[in-house]
Amino acid sequence: MSEHIVKSYDKELESLGQKIAEMGGIAEKMLSDAMDALADFDTRLAQATINSDPRLDLLQREIEEQAILTIARRQPMAMDLREIIATIRISNDLERIGDLAKNIAKRAIKVSTDVRIPRAIIGLKSMHDSAAILLKDVLDAYAQRDAERARGVWVYDADLDALEDSIFRDLLTFMMEDPRNISFCAHLLFCSKNIERIGDHSTNIAETVVYLVTGETLPISRPKGRNMLSDSTTTTV
Amino acid sequence: MKELQIVSQEQEVQDSNDAREASIGGGAEAVVSQVADGGASIANPAASQATAPTENRDTAKDPAMTVIKQVPNLPQKVAIRDLNFFYGDSLALKNINLPLYANKVTSFIGPSGCGKSTLLRVLNRMYDLYPKQRAEGEVLLDGHNILKPDQDLNLLRARVGMVFQKPTPFPMSIYDNIAFGIRLYEKVNKAELDERVETALKGAALWGEVKDQLKASGLSLSGGQQQRLCIARTVAIHPEVILLDEPCSALDPISTAKIEELIDELKANYTIAIVTHNMQQAARVSEYTAFMYLGELIEFGNTAHMFTAPEQKRTQNYITGRFG
Repeated sequence: MSEHIVKSYDKELESLGQKIAEMGGIAEKMLSDAMDALADFDTRLAQATINSDPRLDLLQREIEEQAILTIARRQPMAMDLREIIATIRISNDLERIGDLAKNIAKRAIKVSTDVRIPRAIIGLKSMHDSAAILLKDVLDAYAQRDAERARGVWVYDADLDALEDSIFRDLLTFMMEDPRNISFCAHLLFCSKNIERIGDHSTNIAETVVYLVTGETLPISRPKGRNMLSDSTTTTV
Repeated sequence: MKELQIVSQEQEVQDSNDAREASIGGGAEAVVSQVADGGASIANPAASQATAPTENRDTAKDPAMTVIKQVPNLPQKVAIRDLNFFYGDSLALKNINLPLYANKVTSFIGPSGCGKSTLLRVLNRMYDLYPKQRAEGEVLLDGHNILKPDQDLNLLRARVGMVFQKPTPFPMSIYDNIAFGIRLYEKVNKAELDERVETALKGAALWGEVKDQLKASGLSLSGGQQQRLCIARTVAIHPEVILLDEPCSALDPISTAKIEELIDELKANYTIAIVTHNMQQAARVSEYTAFMYLGELIEFGNTAHMFTAPEQKRTQNYITGRFG
């Protein structure tokens, strides 16, 4: 895209984009660190993850303020308007992703003294890996303004839902096997829920990227995977 | 979804569907309209002789052509067809095809010298006042070509009123400013005239401010009031179309807001075309927007669409402030 006649306008938009990139980096790191902390019962790493959340919150607030100022100052139109709306929306989603990762880190500290079930962690880890790829893809799609890639993420999230479903069933089995597992597994249930929510926020970002690039909004209903959570609850319990 | 396509007559002949019959039988309205089949509709005046609409769609992104998108099948008060305009030998408007929908506001935007004002001046044949200026093509007002030499210009300008960039009150009283035009076209008694003046001033949201000083000179009013007086003068003779040529460019924000509010109210009874350099104003007041550049119509469409996701790169560059 060619430059604006008013150069400081370009700088404002650029700065917003850079802040999103920084937020994306922090959110990605928080997610992987939280999972590592959980898998390795590493309370120090968990605490570090928790400590990096305020920076994410601060960035989100800065983006919001800056975006509002730019709207007031420049009355952005078309592409620029979409750009600014996109940064507001994406920063919100990234901030939430940070919160969810922080929550996983907090649980990593809590469960570190409990019973450990490595098998349960493995399922969660693979779910995390899918979510991490999703988040990375969507951030790349944003950085490259690639609507096709964003659309891919949007469809891919269905897999994450299916994984959550299977983890849910596994954890229920562990809990039924031995009531002493319940506390640990309950924490993991929340963790899997958090990761699933991170996937949802990633698809939100994907939708935003498609809007940013094309000006079109994606249909409200996403293609669904084999997500039969309610059915499995009734059959398993 | 039904969309409308502006087509030249050659295309109409090629296309033998129901829509064609409807448009030909339509007479007064929508003569150039044609219902397309849901895809993006493109008007390409240059290539229209050779290509059918379906082929046009594939070349939607071609920068050389006009994109007319998401335009509904509404009655057209004015239909501009294959319009060329000359200042002496220089071509100022190139093959313009454009509708003005009845009771809607259509804004013309584009950099200085792109032909917006020229186009507006064609719509009531203001150019006729000047030698060496001429228009080719058709401008259909309710289906009747106003560019024909036998067109009664006074009648036309009574039907198509115009308000200029700078307020132009006559050097006479506020009352007479309004009454002048009415007396010119109609025979009315004093009581009726009083009523018409009052209605016009109320219509232009000026009555409350001037009702106690109707005998005062029109020139004694503030700029914003003068502009509203000019709008009142235009409205007083009950035109059908109102042309506004940058009506707010010399006004403060409050006066601008009042005029914008006025435009919003006026469109219930009139078809309005507005030229503006203020993009936000175009976005605020109009339902449809035409972007012009170097005498060509680059893009025409729904205002909301034009200002959030325009089809054409040049439209995008202009409205986002990337070239001037």
